Parts: sequence; structure tokens; C-alpha cells
Amino acid sequence: MPQPLSAKENSLFRQVIRNYEDKQYKRGLKAAEQILKKNPKHGDTMAMKALIINQQGNTDEAFALGKQALMADMKSHICWHVYGLLYRHQKNFEEAIKAYKSALKLEPDSLQIQRDLAFLQVQMRDYQGYIQSRTAMLQARSQIRQNWTALAVAHHLAGDLTQAETVLTKYEESLKIPPSKTDFENSEAVMYKNTIIAEQGDYQRALDHLESIAKTNLDRLAVMELRAEYLTKLEKKEEAVKAYRALLDRNAEHPDYYNKLIEVMGIPDEDTAAKKAIYDEYSEKKPSLRCCQASASGFCDVFREAAKKYLTFMLDKGVPSTFANLKHLYVDSSKKEVLEALAHEYYEAKKSDAGEAKADDPFKGEGAALYYLAQHYNFHLSRDLTKAMEFVNKGIEKAPDNVEFQMTKARIIKHTGNTQKASEEMDKARNLDLKDRYINTKAAKYQLRNNETEKGLETVGLFTRNDSPAGPLNDLLDMQCIWFMTEDGEAQVRKGNVGLALKRFHTVYNIFDVWQEDQFDFHSFSLRKGQIRAYVDMVRWEDHVRDHPFYTRAALGAVKLYLDMHDGKTLTDGVNGDDKNGDAAERKKAAKKARKAEREAAEKAAKQDPNKPKAALAATTEPLVEATKFLVHLLTYTPKNLEAQLAGFEVYLRREKYVLALGCLNAALALDASHPTVHEHTIRFLTAIRSKMASLPPKVQEVIKSEFTAIAPSTDLEEFNDEFFAKHKGSVPHAIAAIKMKELVDEDEDKASVEKQLAALLGAPEITFEDAQTILTILRGSGSKELDEFKKKAAEKWPEVTAFA
Amino acid sequence: MAEPQPPNLHEGATTGDVEDEVQAAKSAEDRKAAAAMASMGSNGADDANGSTAVDQEAASKAMKSLGGEANKPAAAVQKKVKVDAADVTLLVDQLDLTKPKATELLKAHDGDAVKAMKASIAV
Repeated sequence: MPQPLSAKENSLFRQVIRNYEDKQYKRGLKAAEQILKKNPKHGDTMAMKALIINQQGNTDEAFALGKQALMADMKSHICWHVYGLLYRHQKNFEEAIKAYKSALKLEPDSLQIQRDLAFLQVQMRDYQGYIQSRTAMLQARSQIRQNWTALAVAHHLAGDLTQAETVLTKYEESLKIPPSKTDFENSEAVMYKNTIIAEQGDYQRALDHLESIAKTNLDRLAVMELRAEYLTKLEKKEEAVKAYRALLDRNAEHPDYYNKLIEVMGIPDEDTAAKKAIYDEYSEKKPSLRCCQASASGFCDVFREAAKKYLTFMLDKGVPSTFANLKHLYVDSSKKEVLEALAHEYYEAKKSDAGEAKADDPFKGEGAALYYLAQHYNFHLSRDLTKAMEFVNKGIEKAPDNVEFQMTKARIIKHTGNTQKASEEMDKARNLDLKDRYINTKAAKYQLRNNETEKGLETVGLFTRNDSPAGPLNDLLDMQCIWFMTEDGEAQVRKGNVGLALKRFHTVYNIFDVWQEDQFDFHSFSLRKGQIRAYVDMVRWEDHVRDHPFYTRAALGAVKLYLDMHDGKTLTDGVNGDDKNGDAAERKKAAKKARKAEREAAEKAAKQDPNKPKAALAATTEPLVEATKFLVHLLTYTPKNLEAQLAGFEVYLRREKYVLALGCLNAALALDASHPTVHEHTIRFLTAIRSKMASLPPKVQEVIKSEFTAIAPSTDLEEFNDEFFAKHKGSVPHAIAAIKMKELVDEDEDKASVEKQLAALLGAPEITFEDAQTILTILRGSGSKELDEFKKKAAEKWPEVTAFA
Repeated sequence: MAEPQPPNLHEGATTGDVEDEVQAAKSAEDRKAAAAMASMGSNGADDANGSTAVDQEAASKAMKSLGGEANKPAAAVQKKVKVDAADVTLLVDQLDLTKPKATELLKAHDGDAVKAMKASIAV
């Protein structure tokens, strides 16, 4: 029962609402207090007060008051609505939906509550609920077009295409006067309907519909592209060809149109002459077409000739991106060789006549050829770092001020593993052009790769806003600069600053959260503006925003840290590797002590700083729970990523969630059964199961028995491991895996002997410095006695690699 | 006795979004800005009301015919499956799920916990 107020207080209450809407929080608060003085238990007023307090940033107090308000007046829709708003503000959308629903039950006609609920539902992807809300909203105001469109979108997103189309058609039928030709909303809605028809797979009908609206529609390009697409799908070749030619006449720089044109003309892959003819036709019309020439040179039998023409043209002009334009052809080894030969040919020719015609720009002709060759030998498919170095040095001799050469040199050095030198060289390149953001960013990245985190930050700081009070990091945060956060996090991991590394990874995580939330405003905005197709695209994009490579990297980094923390082997800030000679138990104790001390410090700090400080992150008592938070998104959005599945296995095995661990293992097996880590996991899973099986619930046992099919449960693991070792002889990563597993499956081996064998791998003929780095990490992680010796030997073997220095 | 409320009460005005109710603008400048915003995408704010173009009756009729169909598919999805509480607990524990999610998963597999677990880890 709403509680009655006297007339005077009623007007006061209205004033509170007005003040809240106008953001005059202080005045609103005062008025609310006035009402509460006379009616201390007036729920609505308490609720409004809570809302104002919340806006002022005092969330906890607001929540307490909001609850009190509900207790005082359970039957008030205002109280429930406010409660929902408070939850929404906290981003607890599920609870918010519940509160809104209660409010709506009490006040079914409130458009405001209905709308708030609807947006939350679509944000949470509760499509059935969204359809219901949208239907109700349409019933309330059926004369507004966007309500119809919104219902169609709801059905569309829920996957019911027929229903979505019906809704749109029903609205069109109810129109008495046809909408004006310049009505943008109508034009968009009609195109939207067209895409829905096409999505149902009924291209003939989509085409017919498109033809009927083509004349009046405002989005010409979309009409033309869709028509071409439908005609292709319907196999109406001639018309499709015409449609694509029409598109090329509009924009001949769109590679996609060429590909599609060739496809509909039915030119087979081998018939390169015919393909070339098409490109030639257009490049004759407009000789400036670059994309055309680059693609044209991709066809084989005429390849040499075309490539020569193209290369000569580009190198004469000194176009820096020549290599980047051509490197996609390198997957074909014959083309790779042709290009290499051509570049050499060109270089020799230019070198000999360089004397007489000294080019005014050192980067044209010979210089460009040197640059091309340096990149060629640095590229992973045609790598020969010595040669690359030779060419780049010649280039630098010729043009000492050229950023490109210097940058390439740094990149070549990076590939030799010498991050120290690479960072120095890249910084030299940066100094050649201080106004270039690109080279600045590169230099910062190389510094981070070399663990110079402070210097890296300083370098990026040159290009951030310098008026931000807390230094460049704050600005990078505002700009959601995820590459920096990820690189810096990984550098902090290498430096052993667990807390700071976790902080960076959490930052990336949170930025993705923000991107997820950013769509909220568009649920209403896009509908109001009538841009439905773009809106649907956006909703679908948001659904997989976390499959972004930077999320994957940050999440994997964080999971790894949390795993180490759980295993008690992380060297947290205080405990560095100095005491690695002490035995393992002692080290663990020390680490525990340090963690405890840190935790206490963190708790103290947490009270002062509401933003989670780094120490608190490193001091979590439940690292596996935190790891799971990162992991869930990884497994949901990038299930095809082997690293993700491997990380999932590690976490779930430690949490004794055997069914889930098995799920990850099976997924990893399906992705790459011969991967060394997958072998390790298979053995570890079976070992774990053997000791734990009896204690598991019978239903779980049944699942594991039937789904664990990688090897027979009775397999002799020692034998299995030895077989694996023998089968992959000559591959160091596989050898590492097999040796690591010996400790688990072979009674004769213990930690020390395994470590010895790992260290001995250094003598293997095919070992690379990357492999050695992996071994180094393992030895360091287990606090092995072999560590120093191994590092010394590795440094002798690869003197240029910074990691062993 | 119900207390009178302002007709266009919207508590969420700062965070939410007022789509078709025209909010009282605070100042002349705000009003101008609002008018400009409204006319930006929709070619004249009048279209938004659409009262000239839409036959009210036809619209509501069209809607009624929709209403009947819309409810059908939703009802079909809701199948009655008995679910054992112990199985729900098992799934919550083993698969790291929330209770509603676990219940949903069980229902989708006729209440068979083994089947549900197998399906959840199927590659």
C-alpha cells in the first residue's frame, strides 16, 4: 500500500524527483529529509533519497537505505524500481532484472520501468524476455514505428526470422499513406527486412523484394552489393557479372569485387591469363590502381613478368610498403624464389649504374632494393638473419638517417633473441624521427620486450597527453590502450613483479568489460535513429568481443600467474631468487610468509584505496577462483585456441573438476594430438584419475570412463612415455615434455635426475634458443640446482641472447 | 488512497534513456540542442509520432494478430522434465555452473546427469 502524504509533502516529493532529474542532489536531499522528518517510514521518499546518495557515489549506504525503503513499503513500485536502478548501477544486471519485474508487477502500465527492463534484458541476451517486454511496449504504443521495428529485432536476435519478418510486414500493411521517399528510418527498416529475408536463405524472394525497393532506397551501395550477392547465390551468372561490373565502375579499388567477379564469371583457378585480363582491363582504365597491380602479379605462369614489372615500378618509386604488399605471396615457395631472384637482379642492375646517376633520394632504386632484400631475409618464411643483417647495414650506410632501415635492423636483431640490443637499435630509429608516433610506439614495445618497463612507459609518455595529473599511465588507461597493458604485464611477469603484472592483466580484463557495457546506450539510440542493420551487427560483434587476441594474451598471462601462485612457486615481490639454494620446503615457507605479510599490507592499503591495489591482487587467497574468472571467457570465446584449452586443463585439474579437465583435454587432443603439452596432460590426467577415481561420485566415474578415450586406462604410463620420447626423437619440445613426465611415471627418476636430463638437452643438435629459454623457465620455476650452470652454458652457446646473460 | 504521481515520472532519467517522451528542456539552449538531435536521424521529429501515416485501428489489429502467434513457440520450448535435486548439486559442483544453468542443462537432457555432463564436454 502506498503510504499517503499530506498535500504539502506531496509537492515536496515531486520536488525531490525533479531535483534528482536535474541533478540538484543537495537540494533533493534536503527536501527528502524534510518529508522524512514528518513521515520517517515513507518508503518512496527513502528510495529517492537512496538514489540520490547513490548518485553522489556512496553506493553502500544507498543500498542499505534502498533495502530499508523496501521494508517500509513492499508494495511500492518506486521502491522496487529504485532497487533495480541501484543494482543496475552496480552492474548486477540479473538482480536488477528481478527488481524491475517486481516493480512492473505493481505498476504494469509504467512505460519507464518497462523500457528499463527491456534494455537490461537485451543486454543480458535474455531474448525471450526481451520479446515479451517489446510486445508489451508495442501494445502500449502501437502507433510508433520503432516499437514495431524493435519487436522485429527481438525476434531476429532470438533466431526467429519468420516472426521478425511478419512483424515488419504487419506494420507496413497498417500504413495508410506510404512514407515519404526521404524518410531515412523507412529506408533503413525496409533494407533491414530485406536482409532478414536473405538470412532465411530465400534469395529469390530477397531479390524480388530488393528490386521492388531498389528505386526508392537511400542506401544505393547496399542495394547494389546485395543484388550482386543474391544473383550470385541464385546462379544467375550473367546478371551477377553485370552487377559486379557496375560496382567496379563505382569503386575499382575494392579487391573483393574482383574476386567475386572472377568467381561468377566461372574462371577456374588455373586460368590465370583470363584473370589477369580482368585486372588489366581495369588498370588500363585507371593506371593508378595499386591494388589491381599487386593482385594481378599474383598469377602464376605470367607471374615472373608481372612481378618484375610491378617490382621495378615500386622500387623505382621507392615505395616503402613494397614488401608488405607482396609478402602474402610467400606462402607459395616458387613465387618466393622468383621474387628473391628478381630483387637481386634489380639490385645488381642498379648498383652498377648507380655511379653515373646519383639518385637524389637514397631510398629510391638501389636503396629500396636493399630495404626489400633485408625484409625478405628477415621474414619468417625466407629467414636468413646473417644476410638480412648484411643488406640492412648496406642500406644504413647509404641512408644513415632513414628510419626504415634502422627499424628493420632492430627487428632483425630481435629475431636473434637479443632483446637488449634490439631495444637500443629501435630507440636509435626513434631518435631519427621524433615526431613519428609509429616508431615511438615500436621503440616503447621493444623496451618492454627487454623488460625496461619504466623506460618504455617514458617513451610512450612522449605521445600521451601531458596534462594528465597521474602521468602517462593514467592517460593510457583512459585511452584503453590494451597493447601497452598487455606488453607491460608480460614484462612484469618476466621481472617477477606478480602484483603489478596481475594489475595490468586485470586492467585489460576490465577494459573488455567496459566494451561490453558500452553497447547499453545503443539499445535505445540505434532504434531511435533507425539504424537497425548496424545495430544488429554491433550486437553480434559484442557477442564475441572477447575472442580478441589481446584478451587471450592477457587472460593466459593471468591464469599462468595464478597457477604458479597456487603451486606456491611464484617469486613474489619480496622473495626473489636469491635463496634458491635452500631446499624446497624452506622456500615454500618463506614464500608463504612473504605472501602473508603482503596480504596484511594489502588489506591496509585496500582501506585507503578503493581501486584494487596491486598487492591485493597478488595476495589473493583463492588464486584458482581468480584464474577461473579469466578462463571462462577464454574457453567460451576462443575454444579453438590450444593454449586456452591447456590452461583450462591446468586450472580444472588443480580444482579437482575432473569432468571439466577432461573436456579441455579432449578439446586439446582434437586440436593437436601430437602437441608435447597434450602428452603431458594425458599422463597427468590418468595419474590423477587412478588415485582419485574411487572417491568420485558414481555418475562422474561413468562419464570419465566413457569419455576418456585418449589411452586405455590400464596403459603402462612409463612405457607410453618412452614410446612418445622415441617417436618424436629430434624434437626438443617433445623431449622436454617426455622428460618432465618421467618424474611422475618412472619410479627410478626423481626431481634432480629429471632436471639433469633437461639441462643436458642443451647438447642436442637441433635445440634452438627458444627451446633453451623454455628449459630455463622450468628450471627456474622448480628452483633447480642446475639453473646457474645451464644459464652459463646457454650464454656460451648463444652469446647474443639477452635472456641468458 | 493512491498518492498522485507526476504523469511522466522517470527515476532513471540520468542513466536511462527517454525515447519518445519529450523531456522538459531546462534552458533555451538545451531545447535547441534537443530539437536538433531529434531531427538529425529521423528527418523531422514528426515522423516519430507517425500519427499521420499510421492507421491506428489497422495497427492495433495487426498487433493483435501478432500476439497470438508470438506466444506459441515460447510455450513449446517449455517441456516438463523432472529433475533430481541431487543431480543439480552434482552438476553445480562438477561443471562449475550456477543452479539455474545446471537445472536448464539437466532439463535439456531429460534429467540424465551423465548425459548432461557428457554433452557439456563434447568436442
